[in-house]
Amino acid sequence: MPVLNSSKSDAENAADIIRDAGGKVVGKTRLQKVAYLLEISGLGCGFSFEYRHYGPFSEDLANAVVTAQIADLITEDERTAWWGGSYSIFKIISGSANFNINAARKRILELGMKANPISLELAATAAFLANEGDSDPWAETSKRKPEKAEKWLNEAKDLYATLKSVKNLPKQLPSI
Amino acid sequence: MNFKPQRIRDPLHNLIEFPRDPFNEAMWRVIQTREFQRLRRIKQLGFSELVYPGATHTRFAHSLGVFHTARRLLKIVEDRLEKGAYDLNKAQRALAAALVHDLGHGPYSHAFEEVGKRLNLLMANHEKVTDLLIKEGDICTALNGLGSGFASDVADVIKKSGTASIYGAVVSSQFDADRLDYMQRDRLMTGTHHGAIDFDWLLSNLEVGKVPYGADKEPVGEIETFVLGPKAIYAAETYLLGLYQLYTTVYFHKATRGAEKLFTELLSRVIKLAQDGSTRNTGLSANHPIIRLAKHPDDLKCTLALDDSVISGALSAMANSKDPLISDFSERLSNRHLFKCVDVRESLNQKLGSKELEDSGRPKNLKAINPRKRTSKRPNSVVEQDLRIYALDRACYAAEKRLTEFANENSQEVPKVLVDTTERSIYKQFDESKGPRNQIMIRPGFGDDKPIDVASISQVIKAIAPFKVLRVYMEDGDEKTKVFVDQIIKEEAKRCRY
Repeated sequence: MPVLNSSKSDAENAADIIRDAGGKVVGKTRLQKVAYLLEISGLGCGFSFEYRHYGPFSEDLANAVVTAQIADLITEDERTAWWGGSYSIFKIISGSANFNINAARKRILELGMKANPISLELAATAAFLANEGDSDPWAETSKRKPEKAEKWLNEAKDLYATLKSVKNLPKQLPSI
Repeated sequence: MNFKPQRIRDPLHNLIEFPRDPFNEAMWRVIQTREFQRLRRIKQLGFSELVYPGATHTRFAHSLGVFHTARRLLKIVEDRLEKGAYDLNKAQRALAAALVHDLGHGPYSHAFEEVGKRLNLLMANHEKVTDLLIKEGDICTALNGLGSGFASDVADVIKKSGTASIYGAVVSSQFDADRLDYMQRDRLMTGTHHGAIDFDWLLSNLEVGKVPYGADKEPVGEIETFVLGPKAIYAAETYLLGLYQLYTTVYFHKATRGAEKLFTELLSRVIKLAQDGSTRNTGLSANHPIIRLAKHPDDLKCTLALDDSVISGALSAMANSKDPLISDFSERLSNRHLFKCVDVRESLNQKLGSKELEDSGRPKNLKAINPRKRTSKRPNSVVEQDLRIYALDRACYAAEKRLTEFANENSQEVPKVLVDTTERSIYKQFDESKGPRNQIMIRPGFGDDKPIDVASISQVIKAIAPFKVLRVYMEDGDEKTKVFVDQIIKEEAKRCRY
């Protein structure tokens, strides 16, 4: 995978994602999925992903987020969602805004921050399956996540189409 | 063919039986396949036998144990569900999945996966290989004896595809058959007295319940899973503590991890040389299974040709390699002549609490500490403990950076130091990677009696900090490197005093 800045540590790269997303990311799922979309569009920092319960997941990124807190780069605030589960809010706490951010990276992050996390999860999952060689990634996504697909698949498809139309991606997202 | 009922004597479960019926006959056929028999040559705990000589049990025995445990769990499901609600087809898929869930493991399992990650070897991912094996070849044929599409359904259970049900929880949850078997089997075979669980009490208190789940702030619905009854709270604590202790004393043992580090470096170098056209420098013939895998990393057959015995059998040949790393590390693994371990985190921990630092560093420089901790309303002793761990984490972070830089600068021929980091929490209330089934939910027996997370009612679980590892391994007698490492520890301890 192309590396934006190979001299940075994983923790710094994780913090950069949060910084470039406007300084705040709500949700671990959102963070993981936007990081994956950045990777496959050639705008990432080299995190490797594998398939887990919520689709593409990077253990390295999850660890980097913890390290970034130790290094005082970000904070993580864990909260309880109204439905009973928990979610995290990540905020940048050091360094200034990146004014030289790549426009395509900025756009992918903007779309990722606005999206419903489940639509984002489905879109990232379909992209992951496509990259794994699945012939019908949307059908496989629906099969793997039927409850989520029932309500959010169309939204996920729209989101993916918008992500795919982002200009000047160093690497095109798979056509699905 | 007239199938004769079969029994296997197991050191943990005693008799594992395969009575006369089409399902058990199919499972017995699965066990007879070449792919399943290969698991006899893959040790469950890899290099742990270097520490615990009894721990030579295999993934073959474990897989049979998981099958047996899954059968017990499914009996509980059948008993707990309303009459007529038990779905035999789904139960059989889950049971078959329990039997074949580990088929794709490579030699020394997780250490091999590390090599795969480093060199981007597609087939080093055991989940991917398991999926392929279930859907192709003899395993597939044996499974599809129960109906076309059965193999594919079993693969879906392992991938957690489809609507989540209690049958899936048998294969993947905090109380899945896999964990319930390996915790007991690993304890038995290592001989450790840590990690005991109250297995029968846990099982007798298991219920079927529903737990809400979602992604981030967004709810999705409810998922069916195992829930513990109110009398099992202490058994749940023991269960989590037991697993935590197995990690600290067995899975993360410094010698085991040290051997894994050598293995990862060794195999990575051999595969890299073979891929770069320098097979003759590896000490192995061009026809050796390791070399064939290096040349055909996406070939399933080449992947399956590797097992623990192939690797250990290759060590003597590799010890004669012209490459200094390959020859040195092969000899070390053969003779348990491992690198010496320096536990950096523990050394920093001791220094942070030493009299010397008491004199020079305290009272605390609170401005250096994460502001979130300072605003805590918890008792002072708890805040103090948090501050200490935070200071230690920071010291480890800084030390790791310097040690990794040193390791990278000194990795040309034979690495001077190998840096190892890992961690294990006793329990994570919710883990994005594993999903809602990895919560332990307890029906409290009061109030609305809705299942609640164990962490919200157990003070023991709340109190235990994650077990973190920062170790370096180096050649015994390399005083220059030892002095350098000691210096880093000393400097970072001083810098991060709190």
